[in-house]
Amino acid sequence: MRLLLVEDNARLASLIREGLDRQGFALDWCETVAGAEHALAINAYDLMLLDLGLPDGEGLDLVRGLRRRQDTMPILVLTARGGLDDRVLGLDAGADDYLVKPFQIPELAARCRALLRRPGASLGTELCAGNVTLHSAERSVKVAGEPVVATPREVNLLECLLRRTGHVVAKPALEGALYSMDADVTPNALEACVSRLRKRLTAAGADVQIRTVHGVGYALFAPLGAHG
Amino acid sequence: MDRAGNSKRGPAGPTLFRQIATRLAGFTLLFALLDVGIVVLTYSSQPESLAQELLTLEASKAQGSTALTPDLLTGPPGAEHWAARLIEPAAGESPPWSSRAGAPGGVLMDWTRRERIPGGYRISGVRSVQQGGQQRWLFMQFEGDGIRPYVPVIANEIVQHVALPLIPLSLLLLLFNVFAVRRVLGPLQRAEAEVDALDPDNVLLRLSEAPEPREVNTLVRAVNRALTRLDQTMAILRGFTANAAHELRTPLSIMQLSLDKLPPSAVRDDLQADTQHMARLVGQMLDLAQADALAVEPDVLVDLADIGRDIVAAMAPKAFAAQRDLRFEAIGDTRALGHAEAIYRIYRNLIDNALAHAPGDTPIEVTAGPGPQLSVRDHGPGIADEDLPHIFERFWRKDRRKSDGAGLGLGIVQRLAEAHGGAITASNSPGDGALFQVTFAPPEPGR
Repeated sequence: MRLLLVEDNARLASLIREGLDRQGFALDWCETVAGAEHALAINAYDLMLLDLGLPDGEGLDLVRGLRRRQDTMPILVLTARGGLDDRVLGLDAGADDYLVKPFQIPELAARCRALLRRPGASLGTELCAGNVTLHSAERSVKVAGEPVVATPREVNLLECLLRRTGHVVAKPALEGALYSMDADVTPNALEACVSRLRKRLTAAGADVQIRTVHGVGYALFAPLGAHG
Repeated sequence: MDRAGNSKRGPAGPTLFRQIATRLAGFTLLFALLDVGIVVLTYSSQPESLAQELLTLEASKAQGSTALTPDLLTGPPGAEHWAARLIEPAAGESPPWSSRAGAPGGVLMDWTRRERIPGGYRISGVRSVQQGGQQRWLFMQFEGDGIRPYVPVIANEIVQHVALPLIPLSLLLLLFNVFAVRRVLGPLQRAEAEVDALDPDNVLLRLSEAPEPREVNTLVRAVNRALTRLDQTMAILRGFTANAAHELRTPLSIMQLSLDKLPPSAVRDDLQADTQHMARLVGQMLDLAQADALAVEPDVLVDLADIGRDIVAAMAPKAFAAQRDLRFEAIGDTRALGHAEAIYRIYRNLIDNALAHAPGDTPIEVTAGPGPQLSVRDHGPGIADEDLPHIFERFWRKDRRKSDGAGLGLGIVQRLAEAHGGAITASNSPGDGALFQVTFAPPEPGR
């Protein structure tokens, strides 16, 4: 897994590099738009961390150029610009996430992981959080190495939540992934499915937590201090 | 809200109409006096024509009078000697004093003679008069001194030549003035209405330029130029916040990440807490500057429920980590006119505030609707009555030692709500806890 950092402040860049290195990411660094384009031409990257105000141009122009070329590499914008319209501008340009400075390494690492887990990005078939592992090709779930029996729908649900560990997944998104368009979904169907999955994981001794965000959706949290 | 606190009505000075009317009246009066002076001067330099006018005036008095004999006429004032009698031309009488009636057949004609006598002058003459439908001739002779006998003549002349033409003219001018002023000031009144409608948050608004009158046009253009300069100042302010953000946030990032590299110790933890506090303070000050400069497009429709779900989803992990439960509910139609990111920040600051004040294991209820409003309710101790007037003040904190915020969060919310033409209210909800409600402009009907 290779990341490209485009940041013109050398000191900040080296700190980010060290921090992400400790989190298990390999990082290439360049200072300018031209440098980034050069690096992108030579290597394939799984994720780009991009500062906006660069010495030789605007970071967002780089994003637009990549998107025009149908490049779907996830892009996380790291910027000091926290204006009211800046985040929307960044996302509209084609960035996948937007993190305003100052930030902390665990937060940055979590965002990187979330982006790398997204469908479309090249990623391994194993999804992990705490002691829970889901093998996306085999459709199998393991807790602390022991297989857990679950219905295909529950596995789908767990996969959705694992792909966004630490983030809330909205109900409509979950319903769309779990039930086909023509299926008659009762309002409580999703709730019942979550409840069954929760019981199964608890019974198997899982240390992750599936929490309900009333009126919005569900989120899976890994135990504190663990990443993954 | 009237931010400047000044009323729309300024000091009531005289209207332009009144000023013009007063000046017009003054000029008319001055002109009349000048005219009178000219009349008096002209006649005093021409005693012959004055004498003529005097006799004509007396004759017209005799013609209008019902007195049968001209002797009953009083004559001009101050006359030392006055005689008047009718002459019958049919009698063929040729009066001896008629030196100018030399026409054949004894035909009489109007004549006047003025001669100097000791102690004054004598004026004599004949005028034709109509009495009882019959033409007759009136002979008049008069002796006098000084200007006094001429007074009625001069007065008559003034009435004829000054008052009669000037009074209707003045009245017409005043009447015209009413229409002219109203017409000319029309563009000014429209400009006034437009200036009143100017919203400090709505940039790029200009007064419409009336082509005439030129004075109003130049004023409107001057105001428009001033508005352009204001816009430029706002743009500089916005640019400054962006630059300040960059300049402050990058070193703060470096500080935080450098501290993380230090070996764990109590000092490191303190420094980390300090830099986090500083980062938060910088963030809030920039948020506030951006809120102050926020221009809300008046026609963008947003769904408060969508934004509410987003922010609750984004903040739920933080709330759960702090042992709080975050709930969201949408009621009815939740569309409103507004700026999505600004409304996102309204929610975020209110939820942050609730997280700071509500005790653990209590729910924080975020609600969108019914209608264009949102609310955030916690189940904490609520707001003390003595604190209520202060909670929206910038940099106000109930307990400066305890709080790690800058006291700007609610001030930002209030400013963002105002930029939307909305309002925020804080109250203690029935039961327990604090309730913050923000209202927005509803979508226009039919959309």
